[in-house]
Amino acid sequence: MCDNSDLIICRCEEVGEKEIIEIIKSGVTTIVGIKRRTRAGMGLCQGRRCRRLIAKLIAENSDKNVGEILPARIRPPVKPIRIKDLSEGE
Amino acid sequence: MLKAEAVVIGGGIVGASVAFYLTKYDRKVILLEKEDLACGTSGACTSTIWIQSKQVNIHLKMALESVKLYDELAEEMSYDIEYRRSGGMIVIEKEEEMEAYAEFVRRQRSIGLDVELMDISEARKLQPGLSERLAGSTYSPMDRHVNPFRVIFGLAHAVKKCGGKVYTGAEVKGVIVKGDRVEGVVTNLGDVEADVVINAAGVDAAAVGDMVNLKIPIIPVKGQELVTEPVPALLKYPMLSTGYMALKHPSYFEDFSARFAGLVAEQTVNGNILLGTTKERGIRDKNTTVKGIKSIAQEVAKILPILKGVCVIRTFAGLRPETPDGLPIIGIANGLDGFIMACGHGGDGIALAPITGKIVAELIAEGRSSIPLDEISYSRFVNS
Repeated sequence: MCDNSDLIICRCEEVGEKEIIEIIKSGVTTIVGIKRRTRAGMGLCQGRRCRRLIAKLIAENSDKNVGEILPARIRPPVKPIRIKDLSEGE
Repeated sequence: MLKAEAVVIGGGIVGASVAFYLTKYDRKVILLEKEDLACGTSGACTSTIWIQSKQVNIHLKMALESVKLYDELAEEMSYDIEYRRSGGMIVIEKEEEMEAYAEFVRRQRSIGLDVELMDISEARKLQPGLSERLAGSTYSPMDRHVNPFRVIFGLAHAVKKCGGKVYTGAEVKGVIVKGDRVEGVVTNLGDVEADVVINAAGVDAAAVGDMVNLKIPIIPVKGQELVTEPVPALLKYPMLSTGYMALKHPSYFEDFSARFAGLVAEQTVNGNILLGTTKERGIRDKNTTVKGIKSIAQEVAKILPILKGVCVIRTFAGLRPETPDGLPIIGIANGLDGFIMACGHGGDGIALAPITGKIVAELIAEGRSSIPLDEISYSRFVNS
């Protein structure tokens, strides 16, 4: 959870830049590794907003280039869908 | 060259726990993880320390010891592992299953598990929202909620604080053997010298066994899960169904025909509900499928109609490392000094990790174990 002086990176889970940079500097340089440790990207939009920002933060704070940073695995259903619709659909 | 008294292969919950308990004996430990901590089975599971789902034998006895260790860990760890003494239920779907579960509960109680059986009207008082078409439920106060990610990060943090080393991106390529004893491992980061090597490689434990010519009978079992949006507290207790138990223990509950999916439902501290699962034996890929997702959603709609309007935001799948008899493999491998197994936990790794870590540390430091090892030893497969 971030304070007022911090920049929110993941809006869904309210994860701030400071926490993410701290994790990157501890040696975690994958989007999925940051997700598991901070919940950034685990929210309603599933990282649609924050994954590029996090990739940029990794590139700025480690020896990786943006091109080397793999996206976290994108999983169905992509958009939220009700249990009722999943259970009845074709 | 790196040097340690013990090298643990695998950065899941079992490997992290083994390393943690070894540091309690002041052993110099190196943990090697080929990718990242919590990125395999332990990172693709649900959030309950299930005690009442175990086989009623050494399995349940180990789980009961493990829950005591979790009580201690929750106190002593500097990390918040989101530990809650939640209790848990197994909902009984059909009237004809009640008798078998009365017997199951009786056997559990004889081993010392606090558990009771109730009809559906009682169960609906405990957990509103359960379908009235069900037959009943069990309830045990011993099941616990935990965040497996945080347990692993917390254990690894504690290991480092005690002078142990944790390497991620460190893949073991071979085991160094001299005569009849191990002397270390070969990794992509160089050789590591050690007196003891612990195989906690989960679904890859068989591949590590191949490096020392030991055939380890572990197969992956794919389990698909759904994650919902965060919602207010709807599930008071983590829940399994008899359909799930039929999938998990096919030989014990052979009278009940297992479907493709059986219900697992748990609400996390953050409000998301985790819903599962399938048990697809021998499948190694981690893809979710339309059949899997739909089957799980149908189980949910049938048992917990209250959740029909809740949205799923993600699906995932994990691989459970399963042995032929469903029990883990823990202890020495005869004929190869210094090689120790801590693998094959199936879907029970979260529950059994602390006791596994403690047993392995006792074996290494004291040459004995507080739990009898016969039924969980590797040699049970060699002799048969």
